[in-house]
Amino acid sequence: MSVSDFIKGLPIHDSNNFTHLSNDHGIRTSQKRASVYLPTEDVPEPAQLIVMDKRCVLLRYLTQQWDKKTLQRKREHGSESSTNNANSTPNGNSSKKRPRLDANELN
Amino acid sequence: MSHHYVVTAQKPTAVVACLTGNFTSETDLNLVIARNNQIEIDLVTPEGLRPLKEININGKITVMRHFRPPDTKKDLLFILTRRFNVMILEARMVGDTITVVTKANGNVSDSVGILSEGGFIAAIDPKARVIGMCLYQGLFTIIPLDKDASELKATNLRMDELTVYDVEFLHGCLNPTVIVIHRDNDGRHVKSHEINLRDKEFMKIAWKQDNVETEATMLIPVPSPICGVIVIGRESIVYHDGSNYHAVAPLTFRQSTINCYARIDEKGLRYLLGNMDGQLYMLFLGTTETSKGITVKDIKVEQLGEISIPECITYLDNGFLYIGSRHGDSQLVRLSSEAIDGTFVIPVENFTNLAPILDIAVVDLDRQGQGQIITCSGSFKDGSLRIIRIGIGIQEHACIDLPGIKGMWSLKVGIDESSYENTLVLAFVGHTRILTLSGEEVEETDIPGFASDLQSFLCANVDYDQLIQVTAESVRLVKSATKALVGEWKPEGDRSIGVVSCNTTQIVAASAREIFYISIEDGSLVEKCRKILPYEVACLDVTPLDEKQNKSDLVAVGLWTDISAVILSLPDLETIYTEKLSGEIIPRSILMTTFEDIHYLLCALGDGSMYYFILDKTTGQLTEKKKVTLGTQPTTLRTFRSFATTNVFACSDRPTVIYSSNHKLVFSNVNLKEVNHMCSLNAQAYPDSLALATKNSVILGTIDEIQKLHIRTVPLGEGPRRIAYQEASQTFAVSTLRIDVHGRGGAKPLRNSASTQAQNITCGSNILPKPGGGNSTAANAEVGQEIDVHNLLIIDQNTFEVLHAHQFVPPETISTLMSAKLGDDPNTYYVVATSLVYPEEPEPKVGRIIIFHYNDNKLTQVAETKVDGTCYALVEFNGKVLAGIGSFVRLYEWTNEKELRMECNIQNMIAALFLKAKGDFILVGDLMRSITLLQHKQMEGIFVEIARDCEPKWMRAVEILDDDTFLGCETHDNLFVCQKDSAATTDEERQLLPELARFHLGDTINVFRHGSLVMQNVGERTTPINGCVLYGTCNGAIGIVTQIPQDFYDFLHGLEERLKKIIKSVGKIDHTYYRNYQINTKVEPSEGFIDGDLIESFLDLNREKMREAVLGLELTMGGERKAADVEDVIKIVEDLTRMH
Repeated sequence: MSVSDFIKGLPIHDSNNFTHLSNDHGIRTSQKRASVYLPTEDVPEPAQLIVMDKRCVLLRYLTQQWDKKTLQRKREHGSESSTNNANSTPNGNSSKKRPRLDANELN
Repeated sequence: MSHHYVVTAQKPTAVVACLTGNFTSETDLNLVIARNNQIEIDLVTPEGLRPLKEININGKITVMRHFRPPDTKKDLLFILTRRFNVMILEARMVGDTITVVTKANGNVSDSVGILSEGGFIAAIDPKARVIGMCLYQGLFTIIPLDKDASELKATNLRMDELTVYDVEFLHGCLNPTVIVIHRDNDGRHVKSHEINLRDKEFMKIAWKQDNVETEATMLIPVPSPICGVIVIGRESIVYHDGSNYHAVAPLTFRQSTINCYARIDEKGLRYLLGNMDGQLYMLFLGTTETSKGITVKDIKVEQLGEISIPECITYLDNGFLYIGSRHGDSQLVRLSSEAIDGTFVIPVENFTNLAPILDIAVVDLDRQGQGQIITCSGSFKDGSLRIIRIGIGIQEHACIDLPGIKGMWSLKVGIDESSYENTLVLAFVGHTRILTLSGEEVEETDIPGFASDLQSFLCANVDYDQLIQVTAESVRLVKSATKALVGEWKPEGDRSIGVVSCNTTQIVAASAREIFYISIEDGSLVEKCRKILPYEVACLDVTPLDEKQNKSDLVAVGLWTDISAVILSLPDLETIYTEKLSGEIIPRSILMTTFEDIHYLLCALGDGSMYYFILDKTTGQLTEKKKVTLGTQPTTLRTFRSFATTNVFACSDRPTVIYSSNHKLVFSNVNLKEVNHMCSLNAQAYPDSLALATKNSVILGTIDEIQKLHIRTVPLGEGPRRIAYQEASQTFAVSTLRIDVHGRGGAKPLRNSASTQAQNITCGSNILPKPGGGNSTAANAEVGQEIDVHNLLIIDQNTFEVLHAHQFVPPETISTLMSAKLGDDPNTYYVVATSLVYPEEPEPKVGRIIIFHYNDNKLTQVAETKVDGTCYALVEFNGKVLAGIGSFVRLYEWTNEKELRMECNIQNMIAALFLKAKGDFILVGDLMRSITLLQHKQMEGIFVEIARDCEPKWMRAVEILDDDTFLGCETHDNLFVCQKDSAATTDEERQLLPELARFHLGDTINVFRHGSLVMQNVGERTTPINGCVLYGTCNGAIGIVTQIPQDFYDFLHGLEERLKKIIKSVGKIDHTYYRNYQINTKVEPSEGFIDGDLIESFLDLNREKMREAVLGLELTMGGERKAADVEDVIKIVEDLTRMH
């Protein structure tokens, strides 16, 4: 496939565009600038305000992780599955605190 | 206190980003271009790009992207600024009026984040659900988009990847999914993250690819249904979609890095890639249809041709592309399906870009009191010198290809009742052609009474509805209605007419020494008088001085041999005044004219210079002789009327318009290269126009009412870095950087450039050994390695030809240069500072200061001295060389033995990057310790530190405004002014340079120079400005800083405050916030500077808003305070605009 084949069939939005542009006189050089937009009236419709979530990323991340784990735990507890014992053992100590925390959050 | 006015003369030209979409309506195809703090919206039309509006943003644009909200057919713009302001803009077009609506705005900065190493990156989900940004290390900022919410909650997500090179959103994903190129200790990897918008967190990694190419920098997301991503590396391109993987390593990629791309098709099969070498490639994804849908089969890459070094590329329509550049002119190019001279890229239009301006020289070559700026612009292959001067522009409306025109006149033929002209007569050697203008069409016609087989010397409409044509043989009188010859006058014998001039009733012709006065009657030409003059007539003029009169009482004549201007009286042709013009150049064109009720005689000579006199209408006496240089070629003077005033057009290699302002003649350059002949033209389709004959064509156009900056380009093909002007040799010295590539036979230039094509080329010998021994890097370079070769170019001040190129042996690089007169030595020298740059050294340890003399087309090295460090700055200091070398400031004197001898030395800097001197005082700009004022004690031969600014600032440029006031620009784009407090009571206070004025400019200044773009002292100014410092910036802007008195400052400040309220900010970034002086976390309000750009926008307001703006504003006029009215303020602001 040659370069010519590549360039064939370039997209067309309006086939008239650029048709009156001649470069018989060589390359044109332009310093033309558009007129400056100078708005003096407020647009009546209100703009959406982009506000930054100021909460600490790390804390948010940790609480999210925590929530995830606790949810998982709850499910595990609910199912009373013994097969997951191996996974829950390392966190065995903290398992006692969990209900209290959940309770606090509910309050 | 210290008060200043800062204004942009040339707006920034470097393009940061560009994109194509439907912004102004669902059907309009728009190009949007971002430059520093502005965006430009263009419309794509059959005639090309039509600029619609330029929109100022109160911030430095770093990212601009567009997106289309679901279920809409119009695109929106997303902009992120350097100070973390974000905005979403919509353009609306009602009739011809554009409104730009801020749909959303806010700030996404984080007070504790560490800025990401790879710069700001932003991407938008293809379904417009979320905007994602990499601003800080380890954080990914998202703005979920919801058009119904009143508030958009931006959130930082924790991202494991610390060093991110590029981020994009993948197409065809259920949840918004980003893909990143990141680096860790093992290399660069590509990884995707799915975003959970509800919980604002990353959910999972859909797929990843470890260890992509070590230099992978760019991601191109492929649209549905193909999906996946293209990873662009330095040598290879990889397509990946999680399961499918294709790679290609095109040979043509060579040395340079791909830095931008544009997608061509909606489906995403073809892409354009541009690299830092200015090569354009096309990438093509070959696909197959399988049971799983369309999958990529292979990747092909082809080189298309050369473009400006691109910063961004966008596909417009019908094979046309826009190339946005920071290093060279931006371009409109066409892709041709057939190769033309080996390239598929046809440049159509160049858009001038001055960026980056590394250095400027302000010179007054024509000695007209008007400065012009020569800039070191552009980099690498797009490097150039730009000659910038204020002048008058011609708006070209039509152009006819016709070479060899010797004269041109516009006539009314057969339509005497009409006020419009319909005929253009063109003289060529041996024949005359007549063109009829009917509407916009131009066709050749015939006037039977004219001799078309002879060259016309003059054609004109004269009284009694007649025309005249003057040829060497005769004067022919033709009836306009019948176009038939009704009368003819011939000199006796075989003599021929040499020069001629006429008005509507009189003709004066000359044949060698004899001069004839002929009166024009109805149907006949009557010779009234003839005289023999002492010498041959070179030029003459019989233009009536009184516009209401149709006849003149005077004839102005320029004579050969004794080179004089003579005034004769009419009708008797008596000599009433003779003025000898000094010199040996003969007068070529003489003209009597009246400007602002003062009569002038202008006499242009064969060398492009012109004398002008005040002419006494009754006595013919010439007084107040003055001379100006307009061009370098014989000049022809013609009058024309424009905006109801008389102007004179001087046709030459540097066409000039002469007019009067405040009873002084103003010589304004015209933005055309060469005009041989001109006539005014007032045709129906071309009202109030000019016809201008250049070497190969006739241009029909109108003339601008006001002067503007005009820019001429001298391409160098290599990057210029420093410039110095030397009047003695009429040359510029320019240091340039050329990139050579090591081949088998040593380093070779990649392309022809100024230094390889100079008239003379010499090569420096590297006599300095590398400190600590070892081989020089050039000797054992690998094949294909790039080497920086520095050249000193000597360039002619008029022709800009490179007269001499002196090449330095790598790794010797030129750090700075200047022209100086040293000691009692009568010669003027170029002083060049170099340093040996080794990549393994943190800072060069060794360099030279070399003294060159350019004389008789020869560059000779006169002296050199070794220095232990890089000499960053050189200043001529009372006939000595002042140098900033590493942490030292040193003074070298020039001995009678023509040697540099160190006289004194001070070490009190980190790196003395910038030096400026005034009298005995020296201003030092330090790498990071702001500015310091030194004094040289001549008697003791020592430097004394007088005062310093104790706040740390990383300096970019410094300048001395006056004895006590010092201007600086630091690296966060802030301007500040420090003032010496000589009246302070304690020594401690005296040693401080308190910061009295500060301002956020929003662009990085590389150079300050004293000088002015406009004529000094032309007429009276109503605005009290003091001094003028020009600056050039990284983004290609040129601006002015000037001092103003307190009361004027207060007045302008009042106007500024009112304008801030009246002019609404697009993107809702407050103007006060924008101009705040800000360094990292320290923010201080702007003070002591007036934002001239804001002040000048007053003139663009409508009357009603102007009235609102001046309401309550007070003004001191003639010592009295009064309420300002609109007219006063317009006058003041207009006067301020005349500074540029």
